[in-house]
Amino acid sequence: MSIDAAGPVGDVGRHVPAFSSALRPRPIDELAEWGGPALVRGKRVLDLGCGDGRFALGVASFAASVEGLDPDEEVIAAAKKAARKAGARNVRFGVGAAQRLPHADGAFDVVLLSWTL
Amino acid sequence: MVHALREVHRVLAPGGILIDARPDSRVAAYAERRKRRGFQRFGVVNTSRRELPNDRASDRAIARAVHEGLFKRRRRGRFWHSVPFGSLAELRQYLWEHLRFVRRARWVVDEATRMRYANEPFVIRRAVRYEILERATR
Repeated sequence: MSIDAAGPVGDVGRHVPAFSSALRPRPIDELAEWGGPALVRGKRVLDLGCGDGRFALGVASFAASVEGLDPDEEVIAAAKKAARKAGARNVRFGVGAAQRLPHADGAFDVVLLSWTL
Repeated sequence: MVHALREVHRVLAPGGILIDARPDSRVAAYAERRKRRGFQRFGVVNTSRRELPNDRASDRAIARAVHEGLFKRRRRGRFWHSVPFGSLAELRQYLWEHLRFVRRARWVVDEATRMRYANEPFVIRRAVRYEILERATR
């Protein structure tokens, strides 16, 4: 199957090896490839390397809760702003690294490493 | 990377799943002209040599986590993703400025054909691989 990015690229993602959101498939399309919304429905989801929250916000309507973590403070600020704008109440974003997760054992049902590892 | 996967194992509930998705550098990407119906291949775009070791390290980290008994492989697959451009010049600029791919496509059409369609929409079509792993209880 083949899916498109949301729109023409322009300058977005310039010099970024790990990909800007604008260059990536839409979350719902990516989720469909992996098995569909059932994969996250009613689940506690952790999006590691969440960037600007593209995926976390994209699947929030299916999941019980979504937490996005990224070491980049700037993108987390952007993700929080996007969450406020979207009115997503079950999504939280924080700054952190995957090597030391600030969560309790067994805190999540699904962990996502989307274009991260 | 394996440290991160050990942490993922810790924070996942029993039976929880890990989704690992990333570009598939084992498969070439393609520069294609978007036609009214379908695409016309104009060139092949390889992954930058600098990126390949990172991809292989990710593969090894997953394999090691599976070997250590942290996860069980459940399913894997690949899909194609298109990044759109307004013209061939935009596509070339993208390749020049981004680190993931080599800077120049290997064209499979002649220069006259490239010039004729230079102002039409193009895409880079690349493979994205994913794997779904289940947290193992060890």
